[in-house]
Amino acid sequence: MNEITVQDLPAEIAERLQEHPAGRNKRVHTKIFTDTSDFTAIDYGDIIFVDDRYFLVVAFTKEGRFGIDEQPKPWVPKVMDLASGIKYIIKLVFHETYEVSIGGLTVNCFRNPEKEARVLELVQDHPHFMHGKNVEDEAGNLVRILDIIDGNRLDKFVYRKNERHRDYFEIDFPEILKKFLTSVKAISLLHENGLNHGDIRRDHIFVDRADGLFRWIDFDYDFYIPERPFALDLFGLGSVLLFLMGRKTFRPPDVLKHPDMGEKVLATLGEDDLALLSKDRIFNLGKLFPYIPVDLNNILLHFAVGTPVFYDSVNEFYDDLARAAEAL
Amino acid sequence: MQWEKILIAVENFDATKRALKYVGIMIGGQKEIQITLLHVYPEPPPNFYQTGGVLQEYKKKKEENALQLLKDARSKLSRNGVMPEQIVFRNCMAEGKTISETILEILREGEYGTVVVGKRGVSRAEEFLFGSISNTLVHSSGDFTVWVVG
Repeated sequence: MNEITVQDLPAEIAERLQEHPAGRNKRVHTKIFTDTSDFTAIDYGDIIFVDDRYFLVVAFTKEGRFGIDEQPKPWVPKVMDLASGIKYIIKLVFHETYEVSIGGLTVNCFRNPEKEARVLELVQDHPHFMHGKNVEDEAGNLVRILDIIDGNRLDKFVYRKNERHRDYFEIDFPEILKKFLTSVKAISLLHENGLNHGDIRRDHIFVDRADGLFRWIDFDYDFYIPERPFALDLFGLGSVLLFLMGRKTFRPPDVLKHPDMGEKVLATLGEDDLALLSKDRIFNLGKLFPYIPVDLNNILLHFAVGTPVFYDSVNEFYDDLARAAEAL
Repeated sequence: MQWEKILIAVENFDATKRALKYVGIMIGGQKEIQITLLHVYPEPPPNFYQTGGVLQEYKKKKEENALQLLKDARSKLSRNGVMPEQIVFRNCMAEGKTISETILEILREGEYGTVVVGKRGVSRAEEFLFGSISNTLVHSSGDFTVWVVG
């Protein structure tokens, strides 16, 4: 295909471009990309032409790791379909390999766009996942066109509940847990199909503003653990549950600064109460909040140093959690 | 189950060496015993194909390594009186399964009465994250015997 320029745009598309600030800005010289191999060359105001559609780049998403300054992700532009005016997030192919250290153990991790595309195919009608379409650009690069979820990150949704922990736990948590159960079931669907989520975190669930459903986002991380391919997903689910149960108090510094806890409660904790894989988190929340039912606390203890038994599958975790939720 | 058929899971670990020594001592000289030395290797990592990897080449390299491992294992058994004609080799990739699932599948298909595995002695955290073949085999036992050699 010959290079397309703004002059080649269909009249209605050129008109839409002019209506957008990026199209009107004289300092922006819109380029049209049919090949996304060099995604670093794509800038604000450029157009990505794939799937017979013109997507205007209106911003870039940012890396949202906790405690790290947010970095723009040039391979994940926010775009607007110039024909429909609908906004999407586009993900371009970026292969990245790195090692993460979890509790002193090293795991090889990857960005795996192809895996994310397989997940998108699998969950295209599933209400508990983000949705998107996989297409190829002119050079054969995979391009994922993702629907934007109108909603809030789960962590922000929970942080907004400002009542005392006991009130949160007794009033809000049962409903949150019911919704989280659907998220857990959704992950087991991936595993049954030989896929993982790859990056289960509390900010990778969005709470849909329209219907309140919890929906998983971001499936492009992958890891290489051949004998326990779903162990990190499982641990991620345990960590999200810990957050949902403890809300703002599940690390030793949180205990120290809590007006009802402090040194006295911290002194009751032993190594067995801490996370099996990252000892900065307290998985025996029952010692902090005695009103947490034993059965529910026991689920968390499966992820603690002192556990005599692990969960081998998400289904085992789900079954215990469903029983505990029922009893709340 | 055929109790005279023994499957030994061979890895490149010291634990395997101890397991081989143990088996040799226990069954050396018993000519009716048939031993399969099995090495199962994992599928390549997710980025293997992204970086231009070719599965056939991966398998070829893994199988060359496996052959050497299995030959070394046979030598260790022979030192304790197990005859080479009692021993066969098998190696394969764990395709769409874990290594322990593959071992279990081969075990059941071949009607082995006993499986032998070395125990590496990993931490609880390592076991959770990376798994333990010996523990998985023990948990799955029922109609076969597991020798876990520490």
